[in-house]
Amino acid sequence: MLFALIALPFAAALALMLAPRAGRNLSAWTVGLAALAGLAILFVLAPAVFGGEVLRARAPWIEAIGLEFFIRIDGWAWLFAFLVLGIGALIVLYARWYLAPEDPPRRFFAYLALFMGAMLGITLAGNLLLLIVFWELTSISSFLLIGFWGRRHEARAGARMALAVTGGGGLALLAGVLVIGHIVGSYDLDLVLASGELIRSHPLYVPALVLVLLGAFAKSAQFPFHFWLPHAMAAPTPVSAYLHSATMVKAGVFLLARLHPALAGSTEWLLIVSAIGLSTLVLGAVAAVFQQDLKGLLAYSTISHLGLITLLFGLGSPLAVVAGVFHILNHATFKASLFMAAGIIDHETGTRDLRRLGGLYAAMPITGTLAIVASLAMAGVPLLNGFLSKEMFLAETLAFESWPSYQLAVPVLAVFAGICSVAYSARFVHETFFGPKGHPPKTPHEPPRLMRVPVEILVVLCLAVGILPNLVVADLLALGAGGVLQGPLPDYHLAIWHGFNWPLAMSAISLAGGLALYAILHRRGIARRIDLLSRGKIAFEGIVAALIGLAQRVTRTLETGRIQGYLLWLLAFILLVGASPFVDLAAPLSTKPAQPAGPMAVGLWLLIVAGALTVTVAYRRRLVAVIAMGIVGLGVSLVFALLSAPDLALTQLLVDMVTTVLLLMALRYLPAISPPEPERLARWRDGAIAVAAGLGTTAIVYMVLTRPHPSIAEYILATTMSEAGGANAVNTVIVDYRGFDTLGEITVFAIAGIVIYALLDRVRLTALTPFAAKGPAPHSLLLNLCAQLILPLAVAVSAYLFLRGHNAPGGGFIAGLVLAIALILQYIAAGSEWVDERLDHDWNRWIGAGLLAAAATGIGAFAFAHPFLTSSTPHVHLPLVGEIHLASAMGFDTGVYLVVFAACLLMLAMLGKVSRWEARD
Amino acid sequence: MSAPLPPLVDAVVAALLVFGGAFALVGAFGLAKLGDFLKRLHGPTKVTTLGIGSILVASMLWFGLRGGAPPAHELLITLFVFITAPVAAHMMVKGAMAIDDSTKPPPPPERPHDAG
Repeated sequence: MLFALIALPFAAALALMLAPRAGRNLSAWTVGLAALAGLAILFVLAPAVFGGEVLRARAPWIEAIGLEFFIRIDGWAWLFAFLVLGIGALIVLYARWYLAPEDPPRRFFAYLALFMGAMLGITLAGNLLLLIVFWELTSISSFLLIGFWGRRHEARAGARMALAVTGGGGLALLAGVLVIGHIVGSYDLDLVLASGELIRSHPLYVPALVLVLLGAFAKSAQFPFHFWLPHAMAAPTPVSAYLHSATMVKAGVFLLARLHPALAGSTEWLLIVSAIGLSTLVLGAVAAVFQQDLKGLLAYSTISHLGLITLLFGLGSPLAVVAGVFHILNHATFKASLFMAAGIIDHETGTRDLRRLGGLYAAMPITGTLAIVASLAMAGVPLLNGFLSKEMFLAETLAFESWPSYQLAVPVLAVFAGICSVAYSARFVHETFFGPKGHPPKTPHEPPRLMRVPVEILVVLCLAVGILPNLVVADLLALGAGGVLQGPLPDYHLAIWHGFNWPLAMSAISLAGGLALYAILHRRGIARRIDLLSRGKIAFEGIVAALIGLAQRVTRTLETGRIQGYLLWLLAFILLVGASPFVDLAAPLSTKPAQPAGPMAVGLWLLIVAGALTVTVAYRRRLVAVIAMGIVGLGVSLVFALLSAPDLALTQLLVDMVTTVLLLMALRYLPAISPPEPERLARWRDGAIAVAAGLGTTAIVYMVLTRPHPSIAEYILATTMSEAGGANAVNTVIVDYRGFDTLGEITVFAIAGIVIYALLDRVRLTALTPFAAKGPAPHSLLLNLCAQLILPLAVAVSAYLFLRGHNAPGGGFIAGLVLAIALILQYIAAGSEWVDERLDHDWNRWIGAGLLAAAATGIGAFAFAHPFLTSSTPHVHLPLVGEIHLASAMGFDTGVYLVVFAACLLMLAMLGKVSRWEARD
Repeated sequence: MSAPLPPLVDAVVAALLVFGGAFALVGAFGLAKLGDFLKRLHGPTKVTTLGIGSILVASMLWFGLRGGAPPAHELLITLFVFITAPVAAHMMVKGAMAIDDSTKPPPPPERPHDAG
């Protein structure tokens, strides 16, 4: 049942993704039902949780790193999950009416469900790593929600900023959690909460604390990370109401409370948390007064209230914790309803600008009344829930004992923030509903009935809690606070009237002062003239711009677009690394006599040397260089043949053919003679590096070849039949012993093909070869005929080479090349249009099919409980054909075959296409 | 391995190899030395026909008479050379004619128009 609780929202999101036609009603019902079902489960669990039990359910996940899918519900988790699901259900109802017909409801509600599930995960996670997983999931899903109106610039910017700040904080949190895990030796929440003493006395306590706090503060928009929250107001209002009143931003304070037994109680905690909370409280409150956007005002007020909660947790006394939990509940109720009211106003008037609103009470009396009651709660007026927790807060600031000046500063600043909060509440009410009529774009009227229901419910709750706290909320509060403290509750009682005392006096000062402040600001019109926007955005954008600038500078320096430059770096580095072992090399270059070289070997060697020298000398004449490189390639393949390596010889020969054709095709777009290297010095430097690299490679090869060493060759030759079921050890190495390598290589090859596709698709080049001006290449009937005659032959040879590959020279790679060359001939003879008409030339798909075949063969081994790519070798006897050797490696080799063949043709076809699209003057 | 071949066969094979080799040399020399494109085309064609042909015949004689497998390889090579060499030459000429106007055959001479 615990797993079902957490799975419900995700299931709803998945269902919506799979239901392409779900409209507003169906989408809303799906998510709403998920929330209601979750609430039902919570109520079923309630007796046990209220009885003080901690419910646990575990499932293994990644045991090696200590990650366990551990759901743990104590009072605090239950209370917060209740908040998430309860407010979530109301938001769903509200959003159903809020969304415009052109907004895709399916996407919105799927994101919302995803977010709800992630948030639920944070509350219920009993493993800190699992908590991180859900934590990051909330960052991502909130990114999607804030950027829901992705066409608007400020939505994208706000979403990006929220993701960067909260996601960055998440990374810090991850580091902090890792440190805690290191200290405790487990990520299990039960153990962590029980090891508070251990953690606090550990030398790594401060780093762990700072990192965790960074994560929590970034999420909860605490100073100096608060700036993302106002910009996240670009989100649709249901999102703001959900994320920024009740859930996402509360995740930070939730975490503070969750880890309270483990981390709190030290001087560092008290100093950092309370100071940050206090500054956020004051800054947010002051900034909220000077906002012109309705939601901006609420956002800064949220920041301020979060600062208040943080401050309470920072003070650290059990009573302060109770007050913090209480304020989380109260703030969620009144702020969610205020956001929804702001959304209604925006929805019905078309603007959220306080300067354009006014006098709306006449048009929407019910919404107005609701918003006024919620604002009074926000201001902390008696008989409403905000008053109770604020009173407790004020009492705690007085009870706080610290250095005299700080001890004095806390209550004074708290009262000051209280004054501001009354002022901005007054401004919210007065400039929206009263005063002269504004000039909104639309004529305001009451919203649809059901859109108001969630606001009504929440406002009634505000009143109920405020008037009858003991009846309505005392048990819940005790439950949640008990879960936070993991121990006995302090002595407190909820009441509206505590007699004449200091907190009451402070409340009174706040109320009077706030009203007076607003009266002055309003009379003089000051509040309307100042638009206090956070400097954080400027700083953030400055940092981002600086980062991008740095990246661009680095890229410009390193990525010059000249291959010579890249090769220079690459080779210089390789030389450096490769030469280091030679520096203090004591061993002789060779330890066994070299084999005598026969005349054939010497002749081939001379041929290759001559070819290589020709390339070096004539490299500027590109055509000559390509031909000389062909000579080198042929020479190498002959060397392979001479050394009894038919597979390699064949491969080299075929690769060389394909390469030459592709190079010749590319030459069309290069000048016939490449420009000379500009600098003599650079030429010498490049030459020296090239010679050094060549000599170094030679030295390494020579040393490897001239000393006895245990070789794997004997093992492979001895086991190739029994282990891999093939007599051709070269092929079994490719498809079996080193199958994983091959998989990587064909993937690289496939990527190279696709990259060429991406580079050349739709590119327009001007042919630089002088021949191009002479018009299209001549068509030859003779060649065409021969090519068509050869094709079936080549296909047969290719199939033959492929089938016998496991036991005799051949295999997928060679066979694929043979087929590719046969088709290349068709392209040359008949032109690419002719071939494309007759072939399925979607080579990308063929490449994909090949990769799939190879990977599927590898995965197939899992079905027989073998590791990836284990081959099996059943023998099948077919009539007529005889003994057929069916190694599973055959499937893998098919993949190789397809990838090689299709990638070659893709490259070729793209070059052909480019020539078809040549820019003609 | 079967018995050594009679000296006459040895001699013929040797002569064919020298003959083929010589033609290959001459062909390469011609390719390098001759004046324009169409003349130079003669060199490689001599190599492919007479040069490679003689060497193939020598190979067939040598391996065939020593009792090995029937000379399938040589026949196949001959077949492919016969297909590829003329086609390659044909393509080269076509290419040359497309690029270089001087290689085009002169237009047919103007013949006096016979009445009738």
